Amino acid sequence: MNARIVLLAIFVVAATLPACKKPEPPISEAEVRAVAEKTIPSTSEDKVWERVPFHPAKLLMQDVVEPRLMQASTSTVRVQAVTDGQMIAFRLSWNDPTQDDLPGPGRFEDAAAVQLPAGITPDVPNPQMGEPGKPVEITYWSANFQAMVNGRKDDISAIYPQAKIDHYPFEAASLKPGSPAQLEMAKRYAPARSLGNPMAGPRKVPVQDLIAEGPGTLRVAEKTISTGVGKHSKDGWTVLLIRPLPNGAQIGARTQVAFAVWEGSHQEVGARKMRSGWIPLALGAAR
Amino acid sequence: MARVYNWQIDREMSYWYPEKRPKRQFAAVFDTNKCIACQTCTLACKTTWTSGKGQEYMLWNNVETKPYGFYPLAWDVNLLERLGAQNWDGQRYTGRTIFEAAQAGERVLGWRPEEIDYANPNVGEDDCANGVEKGAYFQGVHNSWFFYLARICNHCTYPACLASCPRASIYKRPEDGIVVIDQSRCRGYQECVKACPYKKTFYNPMTGTSEKCIACFPKIELGLQPQCFANCIGKIRFAGWISKPESARPDNPIDFLVHVKKVALPLFPQFGLEPNVYYIPPLNVPRDFLLQLFGPNVDAALETYRNAPQDKDLAGLLTLFGSTELIVSKWKRVQEEIAGYDESNREIVRVPLREPTLVRQAFDAKRNVARSNIT
Repeated sequence: MNARIVLLAIFVVAATLPACKKPEPPISEAEVRAVAEKTIPSTSEDKVWERVPFHPAKLLMQDVVEPRLMQASTSTVRVQAVTDGQMIAFRLSWNDPTQDDLPGPGRFEDAAAVQLPAGITPDVPNPQMGEPGKPVEITYWSANFQAMVNGRKDDISAIYPQAKIDHYPFEAASLKPGSPAQLEMAKRYAPARSLGNPMAGPRKVPVQDLIAEGPGTLRVAEKTISTGVGKHSKDGWTVLLIRPLPNGAQIGARTQVAFAVWEGSHQEVGARKMRSGWIPLALGAAR
Repeated sequence: MARVYNWQIDREMSYWYPEKRPKRQFAAVFDTNKCIACQTCTLACKTTWTSGKGQEYMLWNNVETKPYGFYPLAWDVNLLERLGAQNWDGQRYTGRTIFEAAQAGERVLGWRPEEIDYANPNVGEDDCANGVEKGAYFQGVHNSWFFYLARICNHCTYPACLASCPRASIYKRPEDGIVVIDQSRCRGYQECVKACPYKKTFYNPMTGTSEKCIACFPKIELGLQPQCFANCIGKIRFAGWISKPESARPDNPIDFLVHVKKVALPLFPQFGLEPNVYYIPPLNVPRDFLLQLFGPNVDAALETYRNAPQDKDLAGLLTLFGSTELIVSKWKRVQEEIAGYDESNREIVRVPLREPTLVRQAFDAKRNVARSNIT
């Protein structure tokens, strides 16, 4: 009798499981539909994402300019978008079983980027990093940046736990740790940091705002306004990027958007990436 | 790709950018026969430039024992294997350079070292090329051999690092030809690390950029030789300026050694970079190995070097090595002395062709002790 009750209970639970599954958001094959909301979701777990249609953006190898990617990796990035008329949030997710967030010689980080034309114009720039006179704006997120923002120590031992360092001149006993003199001296031993190269940190956000007018012209925007956060699970990465809309864009407008994903374990970096072409972006589309 | 002329391989070749030589080109001569691998140069560089976080593994200057020493591991043989067997026709290289052998999607034929390849900077140190047979003793010719190869960035005329950078973050300084990475522009793609056949660019994981030897340009600008030159206790190094062969000046020390006497040769000229560090090859190393490293002029260079004791000019100029920290732009032999001059023709150093030798009595009667050294 007891066994019968247990079996019945198992059957009932099994039968109701599909109903408990999170509702799958609708699919938007032809375009990225940025849903208008009063507020931009600040996390990729926000309930709003359950209702926002997703676009499966097909990625191609960057094989137009050298150095090219010669072997395909990430085939699709799943894109959702929400806008409040000023800012736009993109929720990107893609399969990636390896979490590559440590830099090193011959070691590369997982990364993703969103590209928009700098303004709403009838003719869009070349999707491959824009073109002279027709800039594109890029928000770039990297797993390495994310790990630093998440608290990875700014020290070589955080990358190589077994590292044994005899001495750094800027950590001499005569220099008080954290004092202006000590920090100034430490900066001198990190040339890129002393020149203000944003690759060198320290960083507060895991993203960079960039501008390009063609391959090889990527430059850092005057200020990084965008924010973002990325999380890795067994299924891969989910990254939320929040950035301003292009100049002149408002609810109801249409423009284009492109995406790129770098698979660190595949030694993808810089121009060696999986990227999309322009994809129509409808701002404030109905759900 | 543009067509450029590379005098070291006696032909035009393909390169990513058109030929544009600097106003003058930094160059150096290293006499491998005098190097004792004390690594003083390595430490001089290390303490001057790479004491920061993320630079721990960097050796902008290193000295490795050939044939089994490498930093990073197998830097040269890895590329030679990828390039495959190639040919010289006399002075002309008829094989493919690393620019001409670039695979689809690449600017340069290169390879990417892994972290572990940097783990053993002293691998192969003092290892002989051949085993020492039981009972063997020195008979005047070394059957087992090795030599020390001191290496810095070659500040190439056609740098592969520069060609490979998709962001044009690497440039040759127009005033002295020194190759530098713009630390404000580099985004750490490590394409230069992959492309440089000599593996003399290094990725800094703490700053997210690649870094390399800068030939101590702040010293060069003051008319001084770089740290690894000034601190070389074996006096194997000489820094200066090199001209193109057709405009070589015999009173320019580097021109004299490279173009006039042809005693100093580029390292792996077949790669096609026109490197600007020139080596006097080691005397007691099998010819085939030297041909691979230094090209077809190695026999003549060795013969010239062997005859140096009969050549007062060559022997004299070699005595100027390590005699001053200043850069000697011109030189002259004045009978039994060698004088060095700076760019404004000011005499900055004078050394005797032969150091005066004092021979003392074997027994010091004053102190009632036998002398262990009498010269």
